[in-house]
Amino acid sequence: MKYKATRTTLAPLVVAAGIIAMPMGASAADEIKIGMLSAFTGTFASFGQLQKEGAVMALEEWNYKVAGKTIKVIYADDQLDNELAVTKAKQLVEQDKVDVVTGLVSGDEGLSVASYMKGKDIPIVPMYSASEDSTMRKWYPFVVRPTWTGAQPMDVFGYWLSKVKGLKKIYMIGEDYSYPYNQAGGFKRGFLRGGGVEVTTVWHPVPTSDYSSIISSIPLDKKYDAVLYNGAGSDAVAFVKQYVEFGMQSKIPLLGQSNTFEKPDLDSMPQQIVGAYSAHLTADDMNTPNWNKFRDAFQKRWQHSPSAASEFAYGSMELILRAIKARNGDVTDKAALAAAMHKVDLSDEPRGPVALDEYNAAIENVYIREVAVGSDGVMYNKGLFTAKNVNQFGPYDSKIYMKQPSDGPSSPPDLRADMPREMLEVAKDYEFVPFGK
Amino acid sequence: MTGTLLQGSSLRRLRLVVAIAVVVALVTLPAYGGQYTLTTFIRTFYFGFLALSVGLLLGQGGMISLTQTAFFGISGYVVGLLGAERGFPFPLPELAGLALVAVVALLFALVVMRTHGIVFLMLTLALGQICWSFARQNTSLLHGWAGIPDIQPPSIFGVDLTQNANFYWMSLALFSLGLLFLWRLVQSPFGLALNGIRESPRRMSALGYPVFWLRVAVFVIAAIYAGVGGILAAWSSGIVTPTALQLSRMIWILLIVILGGSQYFWGPVVGAVIAVWLDVIVSQLTPRYNTVIGIVFVVVILLAPNGILGVWERITAKRRALRQVPAAPPDSNQ
Repeated sequence: MKYKATRTTLAPLVVAAGIIAMPMGASAADEIKIGMLSAFTGTFASFGQLQKEGAVMALEEWNYKVAGKTIKVIYADDQLDNELAVTKAKQLVEQDKVDVVTGLVSGDEGLSVASYMKGKDIPIVPMYSASEDSTMRKWYPFVVRPTWTGAQPMDVFGYWLSKVKGLKKIYMIGEDYSYPYNQAGGFKRGFLRGGGVEVTTVWHPVPTSDYSSIISSIPLDKKYDAVLYNGAGSDAVAFVKQYVEFGMQSKIPLLGQSNTFEKPDLDSMPQQIVGAYSAHLTADDMNTPNWNKFRDAFQKRWQHSPSAASEFAYGSMELILRAIKARNGDVTDKAALAAAMHKVDLSDEPRGPVALDEYNAAIENVYIREVAVGSDGVMYNKGLFTAKNVNQFGPYDSKIYMKQPSDGPSSPPDLRADMPREMLEVAKDYEFVPFGK
Repeated sequence: MTGTLLQGSSLRRLRLVVAIAVVVALVTLPAYGGQYTLTTFIRTFYFGFLALSVGLLLGQGGMISLTQTAFFGISGYVVGLLGAERGFPFPLPELAGLALVAVVALLFALVVMRTHGIVFLMLTLALGQICWSFARQNTSLLHGWAGIPDIQPPSIFGVDLTQNANFYWMSLALFSLGLLFLWRLVQSPFGLALNGIRESPRRMSALGYPVFWLRVAVFVIAAIYAGVGGILAAWSSGIVTPTALQLSRMIWILLIVILGGSQYFWGPVVGAVIAVWLDVIVSQLTPRYNTVIGIVFVVVILLAPNGILGVWERITAKRRALRQVPAAPPDSNQ
């Protein structure tokens, strides 16, 4: 094998071919482009698929036409990798020249893309990405999130467990990245404010498939009232299965974060977990006209029931289309488009009425749920109580809230004794009404 | 032979013209190419550095190292930690990153260069995986899975590299310099000694060459190439995550080098250009783009074990042979 250095001219030719073959972004004047960035392949492909189904349903209801303009959606796959997400966002902005960016599953993905998009003056509508700082400490007016923050349902959940159920000590095992940090942060604030004493937190890397050492190190002699698994997807399925196999469920009851018991993952979990509590912005047995209409249409279109991810995607796409309509199809002024998004009426959102606060974050109902078995023998999340009109700051004053450090692996503190006083006392806390009222 | 001399020189002239045309086309690209074309070329350059790193070890030294993405990641993380998070000004984080890459590469080399073949492969795999696991699991310093965001390219001599065109020219210049240096290196006695080691380490040792230290030196040089790529990648994407170090990326780069033709100087470059553009183009056409790209890789490597440059050489050799047929005496053709 000789080293043949000058033997070829192919390399420069290929470079030239690359330039010639570069895709040209053709754009028509009567076309509005929406870039949807999500995980369509890889470990989290199911989330991307659920999002796409929700978004497509909204688009089909509008027949891909708003105010005489054709809506074109460009799907970009980021495999839920933050670096790839930025690369694909560049593609949407620089090549496809999209008018709106939406999609986004995870918290870090949302923060990375929002950081790149800052200064590009293109509205971003995160569908499932829940890191609160996107609409808080790092917010800028082009970010519009009609969905949620990680802390939003968990603050309600924690408060309910300590204030209403009287729990004092929780052992939390979580996935080590920003969305579970934000869920843990909300949970700790609510739980300690409601009278809880301690939330011990343990983190594990994502993904993990063997939890035997983590589960066997849960201290049974320290009188914890419950174990909260703060993870989702395949991690949650593996954890819950092993938790039950180790016989832990009969010793310490299991709680979940918002996504732990979400469908379709719930279908792979053992039925011993019936009765486990969680909190989210949807419940599987909602029975309002808006929800029923959405669920039936979704069932008809995709042959399975919707999850929170698909409902959020439907609502987000609906917001985008209604804002474009409000602008009468004119998307040249992006600031005006973002402002129109802020004003869109979402009171008929399937999961319950939604309004946007001054940071374009959702004010909405939070549902406390438990895992139950339906008459068909299939497990589902049964609504128990509703806290109405919850905003991303919970019961706190926004200035006091944002003065605290961002949620991380060790903030806020685990103990009530270490929590700042101003985070333990609020003027008015949540009221719980029975679900469906 | 005398008949082909003229042909050879005219072919050389044609090559020169094509080369100049390509250089002009690349330098003037920002004038006519789209923003995303620039971005894709920038990606080609930083993955190109990584491919050169792998190609140098594989083509010159006959070593398959699975640690190279670790060096790509280390320099990126240092730039993120010192530059983006602690605010040190331009050359400091980058130089610190390259220095750390060199030190780590030296330490690794002292261990792995005592081995050959499959043991070498497994050791480099283990070291690469250690670096990746550390990046993924360390949340206090490296933020685990989330990585370090908000990395900005600096201004160098008043040139603002946040402008895509400036960044493109800078990385084009840097990549050309990298190629030039590598070209000189492989032509030097050091490069030739390396080729000798690839063919027969024992014989080279008997001839009095310090085989161990030559291999250590080429490993450190290759690591620095990967490190430069890592800095460009961190600047360009604005974020560094454990993905930069992971095994699937390492295997992808290895495939790129083999796709281009690992024993050719231009092999890693050709491979990087094709793989990056293939990814961009095919992912717009079908959501199953990973399958399509995988099939392309399998087909090319099955049909052309010497890579695309190997195929090209076979074609040109055949054409040359065809041209010579009429001149050859009829009875010499048996």
